[in-house]
Amino acid sequence: MKNLIRLGTATLLMGSSLWAASIDESGGSLVRVRASIQPYDQFRPWQKKAPFGLNGTGVVLPGGKVLATAALVENRTEVGLERPGSAEKCAAEVEAIDYEANLALLRPTDTKFLQGFAGVKMGPTLRAGDTAQVWQLDKNGEMLRNQAEVLSAGVGRYPADEAGFLLYGVRVSLPKRDDSYTLPMMRDGMLVGMMMGYDRDSQEGTVIPVPMIEHFLKDALDGKYEGFPTLGVSWTSLRDPNLREEFRTPKSGGILLTRVNPRGTAGRAGLKEGDVLLSVDGFVLDEDGNYQDSLYGPTSVGNLIRTRPIVGSPAKFHLSRDGKEMDLTGTYDRRARDEIAIPTLQFDVAPRYVVIGGLVFQELTGAYLQEWGDKWSERAPQRLVQLFSFQQEMNLDPSKKVVFLSQVLPSSITMGYLQLSGLVLSKLNGQEINGLKSLAALADGAKDGNLVFEFTDNPERIVLDVAEVKTMGDKIGKDYGLPALRRL
Amino acid sequence: MKSSGFSRLRQASSGKQDLQKIGLVWILFMVKDDWMTFWIKLFTLAMVGLGLAGCGRDEQLREARRNVVMVEVTSQTWDYRLPWNPGTVSSARGAGFVIEGKRILTNAHVISGARNITVQREADPRKYPGKVLHVAHDCDLALVEIEDSEFFKGTTVLPLGNIPELESVVSVYGFPIGGDRLSVTRGVVSRIDYNSYTHSGRESHLAIQIDAAINPGNSGGPVMQDDKVVGVAFQGFRGDVAQNVGYMIPTPVIRRFLKDVEDGHYDHYVDIAIRWMTLENHAMRKYLKRPDDGLGVVVTDIFSEGSSDGVLKNGDVLLSIDGHPIESDGSVRLEGQPVQMEEIVERKFAGDTVSLEVWRQEKLEKLSLTLRPAEMFSMYENLYEESPRYVLYGGLVFQPLTANLMAVLMGSADLRLRQTYSMFGQDQLYRETPEPVVLTSILPDPLNVYLRGLAGQVVREINGRKIRTLADVLPALEAGKERTVILFQGDQRPAVLKNRDVDKAMPRLMAQYGIAEVSRTELGNRRLAKGSFQKADSK
Repeated sequence: MKNLIRLGTATLLMGSSLWAASIDESGGSLVRVRASIQPYDQFRPWQKKAPFGLNGTGVVLPGGKVLATAALVENRTEVGLERPGSAEKCAAEVEAIDYEANLALLRPTDTKFLQGFAGVKMGPTLRAGDTAQVWQLDKNGEMLRNQAEVLSAGVGRYPADEAGFLLYGVRVSLPKRDDSYTLPMMRDGMLVGMMMGYDRDSQEGTVIPVPMIEHFLKDALDGKYEGFPTLGVSWTSLRDPNLREEFRTPKSGGILLTRVNPRGTAGRAGLKEGDVLLSVDGFVLDEDGNYQDSLYGPTSVGNLIRTRPIVGSPAKFHLSRDGKEMDLTGTYDRRARDEIAIPTLQFDVAPRYVVIGGLVFQELTGAYLQEWGDKWSERAPQRLVQLFSFQQEMNLDPSKKVVFLSQVLPSSITMGYLQLSGLVLSKLNGQEINGLKSLAALADGAKDGNLVFEFTDNPERIVLDVAEVKTMGDKIGKDYGLPALRRL
Repeated sequence: MKSSGFSRLRQASSGKQDLQKIGLVWILFMVKDDWMTFWIKLFTLAMVGLGLAGCGRDEQLREARRNVVMVEVTSQTWDYRLPWNPGTVSSARGAGFVIEGKRILTNAHVISGARNITVQREADPRKYPGKVLHVAHDCDLALVEIEDSEFFKGTTVLPLGNIPELESVVSVYGFPIGGDRLSVTRGVVSRIDYNSYTHSGRESHLAIQIDAAINPGNSGGPVMQDDKVVGVAFQGFRGDVAQNVGYMIPTPVIRRFLKDVEDGHYDHYVDIAIRWMTLENHAMRKYLKRPDDGLGVVVTDIFSEGSSDGVLKNGDVLLSIDGHPIESDGSVRLEGQPVQMEEIVERKFAGDTVSLEVWRQEKLEKLSLTLRPAEMFSMYENLYEESPRYVLYGGLVFQPLTANLMAVLMGSADLRLRQTYSMFGQDQLYRETPEPVVLTSILPDPLNVYLRGLAGQVVREINGRKIRTLADVLPALEAGKERTVILFQGDQRPAVLKNRDVDKAMPRLMAQYGIAEVSRTELGNRRLAKGSFQKADSK
């Protein structure tokens, strides 16, 4: 029966691509995922924004866990599963989540909830031109199978990632409007990808391919989630013969490293700025940073170092330095991504803050800057944008967090300071500030006299009276209805 | 980047994009057609004019009709994307008026980039060629002279008055859209405050807001009260932003301009070149050991190479300026009116001194500083006289970072370039790089096929030499023996070119893209910051 349907889809590709099938036909593989979402308010770090709900379609895996996208459950207050076709519900917990790879693994709190679901196996990796189906559940739990064609398979951008991962671009006509396009892409009853984005106008979508899912699951199922490794370098193409000559590279191939994070995989293996990276783990890189993938042909080095190895596996580099070829070895990790002063991605993390006598201090994060909207890099305070965007080349110490004055709550003791915002705090009473904790401790420790706040920018310093902060501090919190004066 | 408190910086940035120069009415006829239609119209209008002139019931109107003139200008505007081109030609109309010394006062923006100026009085159908005598882009004023003395027959002089009272009635004279003859509108003085002067882009001076209708074509025309000029109409908001909000340049600014040019040339406005903070917080006052007397502001930043460099210190409390006590919000009383303390400096000239009472380390000190223009911020000033400067090398176009360049790059500039521009003043980047040089574009040629992604980068070094101004580029390029290596800010790859290939390509490139000169580097009258980097070098 299944074979017949598949053959049918293949021959009817140009015509209608819509089938309705019952849950039984799908082999009991899909559940509805209902997430209630409530993001933090980065501008008012003591509160959350208005909640809203998201629906998506999760894939039941053998073993009774459910795969969904991370975007579906980020900033969640609650996640529930629902059997298609019935209103039977069950709460779920997030067992592992990776925002970069946009994948999440959910576990129903009731182990019996998914009884009778066979679970879906991983299918093959697809290439451009291949076809598959994107499955969507309608209101009644009826399943809609929509014919999809893979338009591209290669390294592309994920919503919460800076570098790039393997990605399918697909064309598919989805009849049902969804508030989250978390939908499985199937072939022959097997999972070949997880759709994570869809544009109704162009009818094009983005799909997370199986190699990414397998990497994620392998990592998640061993109990300790480590994430995807990263090299920690910036590089540029070496097609330009003049550049090749300047860096005395071998006749062909290789990319030029323009920056190497000393804490990253490459940096700790001994690679340096100006090195020409010729091959990684035996895969030879061409001048544009592509290796020859057995399935996809020329593919970006990003896939080679991020999707293929896991954290902790050995890395081998062949390079040319000052005209001499050499080999270096290291271990794949993701410290270049995690050990940074200003975190790029922070979901589900409550923003930290301290209110001292009406002065609101926060730790700088990418999430705070993104709160300024699409044009955050133009609209947010430029010093904060600069520190965040150029933190690598400015060599910011990852152990020191950037604390800044985000706003001033008007009161009798903050008069004259009301327009200050976006100022990076360097010292309190002459002591260096390494994070909100050190700031709170210093402020608490001051018994009398002044609190002299020093900033890296103009104005250089402002002053509060310790006694007034002690008597007025709580009142300011009450006047503005703050549930707490700090979250550290 | 005028010295200022926080509130003003913020207001300036939020209001700036909405302010628009008025007075440039683009005349769409060809010059010849224009002349023809003009003659026909003038004939009819002159008849009516004679009838009206006979009434003589309003002295002010009669004086205005004698002395307010129409200024028609054909100007050329550079295209900073193609800095070697002479630019586009356009025509515009504004107003002006006769002042003492047979001179015509108008706005700088009316005559900037002028290639041809004609001036016409209502009573005389002839168009007289005019010549710019002095121009002050920083306060948007200019003087035009007319060689033919015939022009001044029947003119008198419009005398300058003082700052008018709030809500007092004023009349605006000019030649705005809607007709070709003199127009008069009336309104009241709505507000007297500092405002940004959009023509220069970076200056703020005293400006008076009036609610009389001011429209394109009014620019340069007098605003009058009791037979005297109380201002020059110059800018306003677009109709979709605000209604009945027009601005005039008040007489203190006009007088300052006229006094400045007495020696034959115009110097720039001077600047105290500090940032300061209000001293309204009592814990801060206590900390600085100042009584709660509502006086004084704190100096928070001193710009190197500015007037206060070496005189004032961060943390100084400014108590009075030239004997005027400074309120804790930064205002002083001048002629009974509260004005920003900078107004004291505003009325002075390069080389003048200003005396300050300063509270420093719990002691009162009397200091004096000699005022000078803030040359280090000239990057933020729109340029009108200077031809765009550039260096072309193998299709790579190098240009200094200027307000004009940024205006055309803004949409495509990356974060680093935007920040190099926006932080240049506040971070005093001019100390290292008085004039950042940008690789603005790459004219495609087989030679530079692999370099095209580098457009928009800020140049750091060429052939091992630091690039601090555009003047450094040519010598650095010449220093390359076989190859030229160009390094950029950040982690960009270097650009490497073989000089032999470049020499071969240059004639081809210049012919292909219609470029006559390889470079234009002369700076003109403008001066750049010295840069402490350079100082250190010369030691």
